[in-house]
Amino acid sequence: MARMSRRDFLKASSGAAVAVSGLAGCARTAAPTAMTTPADLAPTSGRRVIVIGGGWGGATAAKYVRMEDPSLEVILIEPNTKFVSCPFSNLVLSGVRSIGSLTFGYNALREQHGVRIIHDTATAIEPDARRVRLGRGFLTYDRLIVAPGVDFQTEQIEGLAAAGDSVLHAWKAGPQTVALAQQLKEMPDGGVFVMSIPPAAYRCPPGPYERACQVAWYLKTRKPRAKLLVLDANQNVISKPALFRAAWQAYPNLEYRASSKVVKVDPAAREVTTEFGDKVRYDVVNVIPPQRAGAIAVAADLVGVDKRWCEVDHVTYESVKAKNVHVIGDSTIGIPVPKSGTVANSMGKIAATAVVHLINGRAAPQMPPINTCYSWVSDSEVMAVVNAYRIDNGKVVQIEQKLTPGQSTLYAQHAMAWAASIWADILA
Amino acid sequence: MRRGAGAIRPLVIAAALATALAAAPATAGPVDTPGFTSAFSCSACHGRAGASRADAVPILAGMPAWYLKKAIDDYAAGRRPSPEMEPFSKMVKTLGADEVAGYFAAQPREASQSKVDRTAIANGRTASATCAACHGEDGRGNQAKGTPDLTGQPPGYLLNQMKLFKAEKRSPGDATLTSIKVFMKSIDDKTLADLAAYYSSLGR
Repeated sequence: MARMSRRDFLKASSGAAVAVSGLAGCARTAAPTAMTTPADLAPTSGRRVIVIGGGWGGATAAKYVRMEDPSLEVILIEPNTKFVSCPFSNLVLSGVRSIGSLTFGYNALREQHGVRIIHDTATAIEPDARRVRLGRGFLTYDRLIVAPGVDFQTEQIEGLAAAGDSVLHAWKAGPQTVALAQQLKEMPDGGVFVMSIPPAAYRCPPGPYERACQVAWYLKTRKPRAKLLVLDANQNVISKPALFRAAWQAYPNLEYRASSKVVKVDPAAREVTTEFGDKVRYDVVNVIPPQRAGAIAVAADLVGVDKRWCEVDHVTYESVKAKNVHVIGDSTIGIPVPKSGTVANSMGKIAATAVVHLINGRAAPQMPPINTCYSWVSDSEVMAVVNAYRIDNGKVVQIEQKLTPGQSTLYAQHAMAWAASIWADILA
Repeated sequence: MRRGAGAIRPLVIAAALATALAAAPATAGPVDTPGFTSAFSCSACHGRAGASRADAVPILAGMPAWYLKKAIDDYAAGRRPSPEMEPFSKMVKTLGADEVAGYFAAQPREASQSKVDRTAIANGRTASATCAACHGEDGRGNQAKGTPDLTGQPPGYLLNQMKLFKAEKRSPGDATLTSIKVFMKSIDDKTLADLAAYYSSLGR
């Protein structure tokens, strides 16, 4: 198998034209047929792993299953033809990075690792029949890895669903990130940018506070009379609180209000309302909605009684609710790890290894995940939190959490190194 | 789900399967390589099998096992202060430091691809005489003296380490390194960058 250097990968994937998938080509040229549901399509190689979701966890899992056992067929189902990194996407808001520099293709997974990619959305999982529904057809599997990330509980905030694209979340990197950056750019000097942070748990605990830093840095340097107001549903900054509060000393234009859950948004009046009835006017608003596991996990009833997150075995990531179905990444709950990109990548490797062992009739090794979260507090300085874990009696427990003593350009170098390495670990 | 595409979807899937890539050979994967599973977490920062392509993160592939184990021990004990590596070194020790170090030591060494300037390399070569006393003329280090192989490491990593030594932030208070730190404090940062370029260029 030819190796692609990380540099080649980054060169080839960022900004390069997307090769149109052969599958999409088939879709356009195939003549319509009678609406019959075909017999289950059996795997060609005898044993098949399906991965739903090509983000940090799913793409990693697909690659590692193929790396660890090339005799297994792996099909990755992912609606997007491009991978856009959520980590570092707050830097797009401040104009420090372009969205193109965070956008990569899936070509190496296909060409270097033999992962078969279908750009579509899985609509149902039938664990008893071991099959996934895709359109009107089904794909059977031996083991399924579900990595659907998060979806938004838009209904939790009055007016949010109706607001459509006039109120942006920008919490899945892509067009919304670019649109919010544009709104920030067009905001008048002297304007008010309001962002709301949902109650935990949500994707990327330090992410909203990093975003506050980036927006505040941008306003400080470009619109010195403008203001950022952060409305946090939580009682305090929930990640690296002392470090973020120290970093905010540089931003007198940033006002942080704890215990200020936004319950209503009114785009016509350009106003949000908190649960205590406070009304706040905005020029630009960024509502990060409450979150739950991705839609397919809810539809397949992999979520627990909270109807939000999926409980899994700490060693194999097999769902506690469905046999042969593994869930990884932000959709999971119960493992004492944050919903971070590093964790999803780590879970992807561990679940892939578990699947390869189990499919070959062997016990899965007991591997703990890791976590690193780098946060950009300006255009050039970064701070971090690191968590290491071990497995104790079949459960993940933390060995230690460490914070950087502060922010620095050295940690910014480490952050960039981490990003380049982990993007390649996922996709190259 | 796009409406109207459903009717042809089974055919799409069938076509996808029929035109699939040729099945890969059913060879054993790396999963049974000793240390592979214990070490794969490290690739999030240190690159595939320890072959870091990032300028600020060291290459682990092909480094001698004794040095990797010493680094893990020093990080875990706080002798080499690092908020990132201290927790991970403690984790590596729970997984088996021998196995992880042995895994990386057995990987093929691939030199850094970070750009290094010719003039900087030449200047670094001139400035390296003192370093050679412990790191060797070839820069490959010496286990008896406890000095690591510097060749082919990313220049950014090498420079950062020298700056940390200079600022008494790497191995603070280690009496065996006192003379080295005195020496480094006498060198300006530009020359340290030249030294980093020179040692990174060796073995490429």
